[in-house]
Amino acid sequence: MMNNTSSSNGMISPSSTSTNTQSQQGGLKTYFKTPEGRYKLQYEKTHPVGFLHYAQGKTVTQVTIAHLKEKSAQAPTSSSSSLSASSGVRLAAARLLGGGNGSRALSFVGGNGTSKTVVGSSKIGSLGGLSSSNTLVNSNYDGKGTYLIFNVGDTVFISDLNSQDKDPIKSIHFSNSNPVCHAFDPDAKDGHDLLIGLYSGDVYSVSLRQQLQDFGKKLVGAQHYNKDGSVNNSRCTSIAWVPEGDGTFVVAHADGNLYVYEKNKDGTGDSSFPVIKDQTQFSVSHTRSSKSNPIARWHICQGSINSIAFSTDGTYLATVGRDGYLRVYDYSKEQLICGGKSYYGAVLCCAWSMDGKYILAGGEDDLVQVWSMDDRKVVAWGEGHGSWVSGVAFDSFWSPPTSDDTGENVMYRFGSVGQDTQLLLWDLVMDELVVPLRRPPGGSPTFSTGSQSSHWDSICPIGTLQPAPSMRDVPKLSPLVVHRVHSEPLSGLIFSQESVLTVCREGHVKIWMRPGYGESQSSTSETSLSTNSKDKPPLSAKVGSSSYKH
Amino acid sequence: MGAAGSKLEKALGDQFPEGERYFGLENFGNTCYCNSVLQALYFCVPFREQLLDYYANNKTTGDVEENLLTCLADLFSQISSQKKKTGVIAPKRFVQRVKKQNELFRSYMHQDAHEFLNFLLNELVDILEKESNAAKISPETSSPPEKIANGPRTAQSNGVQKEPLVTWVHKNFQGILTNETRCLRCETVTARDETFLDLSLDIEQNSSITSCLKNFSSTETLNAEDKFFCDKCCSLQEAQKRMKIKKPPHILVIHLKRFKYIEQLGRYKKLSYRVVFPLELKLSNTVEDADSEYSLFAVVVHVGSGPNHGHYVSLVKSHNHWLFFDDENVEMIDESAVQTFFGSSQEYSSNTDHGYILFYESLATSSKS
Repeated sequence: MMNNTSSSNGMISPSSTSTNTQSQQGGLKTYFKTPEGRYKLQYEKTHPVGFLHYAQGKTVTQVTIAHLKEKSAQAPTSSSSSLSASSGVRLAAARLLGGGNGSRALSFVGGNGTSKTVVGSSKIGSLGGLSSSNTLVNSNYDGKGTYLIFNVGDTVFISDLNSQDKDPIKSIHFSNSNPVCHAFDPDAKDGHDLLIGLYSGDVYSVSLRQQLQDFGKKLVGAQHYNKDGSVNNSRCTSIAWVPEGDGTFVVAHADGNLYVYEKNKDGTGDSSFPVIKDQTQFSVSHTRSSKSNPIARWHICQGSINSIAFSTDGTYLATVGRDGYLRVYDYSKEQLICGGKSYYGAVLCCAWSMDGKYILAGGEDDLVQVWSMDDRKVVAWGEGHGSWVSGVAFDSFWSPPTSDDTGENVMYRFGSVGQDTQLLLWDLVMDELVVPLRRPPGGSPTFSTGSQSSHWDSICPIGTLQPAPSMRDVPKLSPLVVHRVHSEPLSGLIFSQESVLTVCREGHVKIWMRPGYGESQSSTSETSLSTNSKDKPPLSAKVGSSSYKH
Repeated sequence: MGAAGSKLEKALGDQFPEGERYFGLENFGNTCYCNSVLQALYFCVPFREQLLDYYANNKTTGDVEENLLTCLADLFSQISSQKKKTGVIAPKRFVQRVKKQNELFRSYMHQDAHEFLNFLLNELVDILEKESNAAKISPETSSPPEKIANGPRTAQSNGVQKEPLVTWVHKNFQGILTNETRCLRCETVTARDETFLDLSLDIEQNSSITSCLKNFSSTETLNAEDKFFCDKCCSLQEAQKRMKIKKPPHILVIHLKRFKYIEQLGRYKKLSYRVVFPLELKLSNTVEDADSEYSLFAVVVHVGSGPNHGHYVSLVKSHNHWLFFDDENVEMIDESAVQTFFGSSQEYSSNTDHGYILFYESLATSSKS
């Protein structure tokens, strides 16, 4: 153990390690205990030593898990004609970008449509005599695999989740601006499955597989949206594919606007939007031209939108922002359903439960709020972080210990990470929520939807925002587990079937294996992911949702 | 300088009201501790307005002897009455007065901004109290002069004591803490109130102001060497003690204890800990569930790695825009730049600009006081 000074509440100040070294050991345990067993630190992923520089402090690392399926699943044979058409668009885009040369663009077309052996040979032919590290990339490029995508400074790194390697297998450098958010759609219909949003407001969509195939340090085969911030030049803050959205995606910006794009569509038409008359009012405008991309702008709030998340089925879109409000919209109707204010300060992150009944949100009041869609209000505050809450997620792979629950006592497990460098795990038991005071006599007149959750107040009308609740009015939760996982403030967490993944602002990722996993780790395990990371909606969630009994 | 001034003027555009002035303050050799605090106080609008009111009234009642209050009022009115929107002013008279008044600040050494703020506010209170007493004694009543001791003061709840004088400085900055001690033998709770003009908080690495405030009010057990004399038991007893805020101030000044005496080193050391402060804050360690919201409007920042050298700058919010004051330089900054002054999560970091004194203003209507 290192000689640390530990302070009164058990927090340990980090040892004197510089940012460049692996400072993770300083007083940090490599496991934590839960009622169901031990979670063990299995892998650490990071970026090359010496990479960090001062300017990097401007961006915060976010992480996305990307599960690449077998190639056959990726490129369905049925839609070969439309595929080639869209490939043509991308080829043009690649040329325009100047990032990909001719042979790359060609190999891309081949890679998606015809046969992968052709791609492989052409690649080897054109890029013969490469170092051995490249074969690592090459060996994986058309197989299935699970990858971590994370941004640090001006680079997006890609790591193989199920390998012991600390170092990424691929880095993509951005010369114009820093990447800040990303999202992956495992069910993307054609090549482009990865979205990357930049500090400058620019957005790219690319094929992850194609990035892995390429040996360069630049993004290849990318479609570029909001070029040089032409539509909106404020920072991208969060990006998400619309679930079942057929290639549509949304990008949230630091100026309170959110844009809807259609992938692979060139924004040739007029994509100007009317001036926002009232900054404080929600408004949606659509572009007049059918050729324009983005196709719509949602003005959400004054100040930054910090995070967005779609409910699993894509019905609802949740946003949280600088103004302290969580807002829930019916996405297709473009209508505000409900929302409310934090205790105080900005809200930084949000995530849905798999069944769409609850939303977690965390922020600058150090609280994790549990928002109920049935009640349209905060039903619990999780108290336990010693600093701002920067990441929240439900653990959709966790099941209650007793399987005889009748739906009366639905339990959820969720996790949160904060700038206090800690991971907290929580159990949400509806019966145990202490309902404070004012329960209306004779029960609630509102029709309850199954779970006998807490209708202790009259429900607020649809489309209205709730003010900040008073401290004494909201039941409090205490964490089940408090574990200091990194020496740096954290920025996100993701639950997968086998593990909990935590990431710190500086770009170090830790993978904590669930009890029962880890010893016999198979690198090709079929990971289905609850992608509740900060900037990723749960897309591949169909598997997980069936584990809930309503 | 002229070019910089016009650049700021351009940046200010027409988003600021006509009457608002943004002036840098000249440094007379290590007087940045003073300049940074002055800017924070100038943009503490209720304080500034009351000071200018006082100045206006005082002028008509004839000359008074020059003191720190008149010097400060002079300076603020000098800034606010400038023709130009931006520029630089030399707070010469004020600084001279400070040095005259307190030998601590007389040298050219690096000084502590918090100590200066403390000295200044207490000095202002003293001057106002003396004036009030003088006014009371001379004309109508001959009630005994009331005097509040400098620093913490105990106010009994039995009402025998006279209402202490509440000056406009108090109205802005003063809050009341209550120190509850529960004897673990007889369970009697002894509450002692004390006033404060700012809260000095111990800090921890990677924590938030919210959590520092919580620790400030956390229960402490008095035992062993440190037992409590219980009046009821008439003996030393183990006890539990905690501090709560009985009356939250209108302007909440939070001082982060970044300079800590390290016994092993035999000297003070700067703690560069990352302590995040939200732009909005509520106090949860109050006696009543106040839930009243505060908004951050100024930050005094210490720049440098040690306690005995370095530099002070300040961040100020004016009409929903943030400005950066570094002696004579004034710049507009984005709200998101505030977070670069939280501190560093690693001990050795190139980032040495750390929030040191935070100024929050209550959003609740100030009519209560």
